[in-house]
Amino acid sequence: MSTINFAAREINCKIVYYGPGMSGKTTNLKQVFSKVPGHLRGEMVSLATEDERTLFFDFLPLDLGSVQGFKTRFHLYTVPGQVFYNASRKLILRGVDGIVFVADSAPNRLRANAESMRNLRENLAEHGINVRDVPIVLQVNKRDLPDALPTSMIRAVIDPRSELQLFEAMSDKGVGVFETLKTVSRLVLERLSQTK
Amino acid sequence: MIEPSLALYGDAYARVDAHIQDLLDVTGVRYGLLVDRKGFVLSHKEALWAPRPPALDSVATLVASNAAATAALANMLGEHTFSEQIHQGENGTLYVESVGDQALLTLIFDASVPLGKVKVYARKTVVQLAAILDELKDIPEIQLGGDFSAGATALLDDLLG
Repeated sequence: MSTINFAAREINCKIVYYGPGMSGKTTNLKQVFSKVPGHLRGEMVSLATEDERTLFFDFLPLDLGSVQGFKTRFHLYTVPGQVFYNASRKLILRGVDGIVFVADSAPNRLRANAESMRNLRENLAEHGINVRDVPIVLQVNKRDLPDALPTSMIRAVIDPRSELQLFEAMSDKGVGVFETLKTVSRLVLERLSQTK
Repeated sequence: MIEPSLALYGDAYARVDAHIQDLLDVTGVRYGLLVDRKGFVLSHKEALWAPRPPALDSVATLVASNAAATAALANMLGEHTFSEQIHQGENGTLYVESVGDQALLTLIFDASVPLGKVKVYARKTVVQLAAILDELKDIPEIQLGGDFSAGATALLDDLLG
């Protein structure tokens, strides 16, 4: 659930980019960082290995502005995609309000996509959460690969019931990045408004 | 959702602020923050003489993530938790102590400030803060309503196109 500070008039929401290694999660954040005006974003923090693979997380705070007198802020995180960093992934999911699942269009990453989604479900379950209780959108990235799989095939292994909104993206070119973020943010805000 | 909402209302917020300010006054600590376990700043006070603070969002995120990683390590070693973390540099110290299960008291101070003194007073403050956060568990949940969603969505359109 979002952190609400009534006295300071602040609402903070946490959005996590999840997905297999090298699918483009960090690139999404870098695109957001490069295109959002400086006064609306904070510093981007990257805890990465020497070869720029995410070790713990990337972090980017975004200010939406004031809504009904509440300063509303999104904190964007990525998780490390490499399989062996699961402990870090689980920690980053703590307190998540919305998730962007970034899938890779390459044929040889189809299994990695499926395994990452299964890992997401398992890690949420360990926090006592059903995957359906968190707003999730699906971003199918790297659509410009010459051998990119059809989105229907990727969705079939990640989201066989077609429950998630899907966005095609080329995150290194900024295509589909803002549409994805906007949709998950809207879903989080709607959920916040429905809090009983 | 994974975490309960943590909402600070006026009186509770004022008391948290006052306790942290008292701690700063008596110890000479430069910055004092109360950070929730998700990495959001709940309260921040700084000494009058302190220079402009670093990016507090980033500090809070890293402190909370570090605490989560430390807690995971504690569990692997058979401990419930490691309740405090101390990072000492050449010029300054970062001291973090758990405030119950919900928050972290984070203190940043110069090398000239004795760590032992900070620990003694911080522990008193932690007890006071924990009692306030306990009171907040009983407050009714917040209703923001559809107007909030509509207003926020309009801002999203402005920000993200």
